[in-house]
Amino acid sequence: MDDEALIAAVAGGDDTALRELFAQHAPWLAARLRTVLPAAEVEDVLQETFLAVWRGAASYRPELGSAGGWIWGIARRQAALWLRRQGPAELPLPAAARADGQARGGTSDPAGLGDPADAALQRAELAAAVSALGPAGGPQRETWRLMYLEDRTVAEVAELMGVPVGTVKSRAHRVRQLMRAALRHRDPVRAGGRR
Amino acid sequence: MNVELTELTRRFGRTEAVAGVDLQAGPGVFGLLGPNGAGKTSLLRMMATVLPPSSGTLRLLGRDPGSYGPRREIRRRLGYLPQTLGYYPGFTVAEFVEYFALLKDMPSRQVPRAVAAAIEQVGLGDRARKKLRTLSGGMLRRVGIAQAIVNEPELLLLDEPTAGLDPEQRVAFRTLLREFGQRSTVIVSTHLVEDVGAACTEVTLMDAGKIVFHGTPGELIAQGEAHGVGDAPLERGYTAVLAAARS
Amino acid sequence: MNMTGEHGHLPGGPGPLDVDLDRVWTGVAAGVWCRQPGRAERLAGRLLRSPGLARALLTTPSLLLGWVIATVVVLGTGTVVTLSTGTPLVPLLAPAVAAAGIAYAYGPGIDPAWELTQSMAIGDRMVLLVRALAVFGLNAILGLVASAASGAAAAVTFGWLIPMTAVCALALAAATLGRSANVGVLVGLAGWLITVLSARAVTGQFSAAFTSTVLIVPYLIAAACCAAIAMYATRIPRGTP
Repeated sequence: MDDEALIAAVAGGDDTALRELFAQHAPWLAARLRTVLPAAEVEDVLQETFLAVWRGAASYRPELGSAGGWIWGIARRQAALWLRRQGPAELPLPAAARADGQARGGTSDPAGLGDPADAALQRAELAAAVSALGPAGGPQRETWRLMYLEDRTVAEVAELMGVPVGTVKSRAHRVRQLMRAALRHRDPVRAGGRR
Repeated sequence: MNVELTELTRRFGRTEAVAGVDLQAGPGVFGLLGPNGAGKTSLLRMMATVLPPSSGTLRLLGRDPGSYGPRREIRRRLGYLPQTLGYYPGFTVAEFVEYFALLKDMPSRQVPRAVAAAIEQVGLGDRARKKLRTLSGGMLRRVGIAQAIVNEPELLLLDEPTAGLDPEQRVAFRTLLREFGQRSTVIVSTHLVEDVGAACTEVTLMDAGKIVFHGTPGELIAQGEAHGVGDAPLERGYTAVLAAARS
Repeated sequence: MNMTGEHGHLPGGPGPLDVDLDRVWTGVAAGVWCRQPGRAERLAGRLLRSPGLARALLTTPSLLLGWVIATVVVLGTGTVVTLSTGTPLVPLLAPAVAAAGIAYAYGPGIDPAWELTQSMAIGDRMVLLVRALAVFGLNAILGLVASAASGAAAAVTFGWLIPMTAVCALALAAATLGRSANVGVLVGLAGWLITVLSARAVTGQFSAAFTSTVLIVPYLIAAACCAAIAMYATRIPRGTP
């Protein structure tokens, strides 16, 4: 059964469908949550997430997004709840951001988003989206790194990677497609770079 | 020592079903073998505090089951699967396991998790909310095993637990036995000699109410090397010991 | 844990190494599969100080809704007949119905898993006691209501409680001795029938069975003896070899 059918079955009270959904989605959800939360909390959040799926399956609408995206949305809310309860000191922010925050007078809020929980989760989503581009060193990943992290021109990237300009352009297009899809939750991004 | 039996005897009328059994068992998996009528079921029933002994002493989990209070304490830490277990057709798997978890006096807060864990351990996770009348014989046996393990017993008594299980399920069951055998005493009465060899640390062979062999599976195999009859090494040991005991 | 296949992980991949997904699923399953006890069961659990005893009580066959409705129908019919014809039927019916209910509170007669229940921490004798008292109490209340509704005199309204106790004890003793609920019902009903008919043969009236003061002491003695027999029969679990 595909995910939409499974969720419909769960809405109808079928607990074996929930079991199937768990088997398919819990691993990548756990991996994504693990970048933001300690292991014990990942377990609690994941448990709350699937209990929420069980209770709220009837509210899922396929036209609004993929099943994976919907479940991630629930997980995200649960994770944000937990993070807010913990306060900003507990967030696993990278050292650079912390230092930056301290330089500005003590707030670790480099993106100016106001909510550290949201910031941490956005970082997790970004990391997951980047991993969808393939392994580090692969063509899409390198293209993304050179063009968007190091801000180089197409010509420079073509020379650095030793490929024609046309190839760089089509790779960049592919990168934008993948990132857009991942960040808009249209595709559940699986841990390990599997597409 | 979780089980200490001294000269344990059980009579029905004039027949001695169990005729003076001595047994000591700590943590581990113990196989109980023997032909029909050897007294295995009566012995298990006495250890399950379902049948009082006619004479001899019985100490379970360091307590004397003869008096009410200690017996209740033993039963809280006991798991028992009788040879024939009826079921309530209208109950679901989860309801059945939960019913016996509650009767074992488990604190009600712990019950839902314990029931879920037990059901998953016996491989019935995809049937937890199905009514028992829809289940096959092998599945019902596994429900029986689930209710026996739900309270993480220190003493687990299983009478013919693998009846109706296919080979793959028996492998999973042996894994479960070994896991429990690490912290509890597991006593398995079975006709299937191979089951015993694979999972048990010690084997006891009964005949006509008496213990005729007690040792490791390897030692039982050694008994059968010269004169045993059978296709498998344990079977040969089994028949050799029985023949010697009866001669 | 049976969700993981030969590879030792779930179909969706291995997941992070330090996250125990089996444990997570157990928690989810506990929430999905658990049964929420109803208000009656929770109240009974608090009164009896044991959720297990409460669950055993509420699964008593003769306390299930169908049985209770049947009891109400029988007693209601008796009330209606009494109101229209004047013969006090409720005092004749109530003990019989109660006896059947008590017999069907007994385990081995109708409990397929009875050998297992004998190894439980909450003993089967305790369960039987609580069930028998509950069934008796319920039937007594229903009977009193029916009796009062049929406009009988006070002596008749309450007088049948003592014979009811005796007949119930008889049914229980027979059920526990014969290890069968059906045996209990038959013996209980037969005993009551014989008593009523003999009373009629001696005094010419059916109602003598429950209005005659001479019978009170014999009833109570019979009830005590039968209760003792039932206690004895449930004390020694007789196993077949």
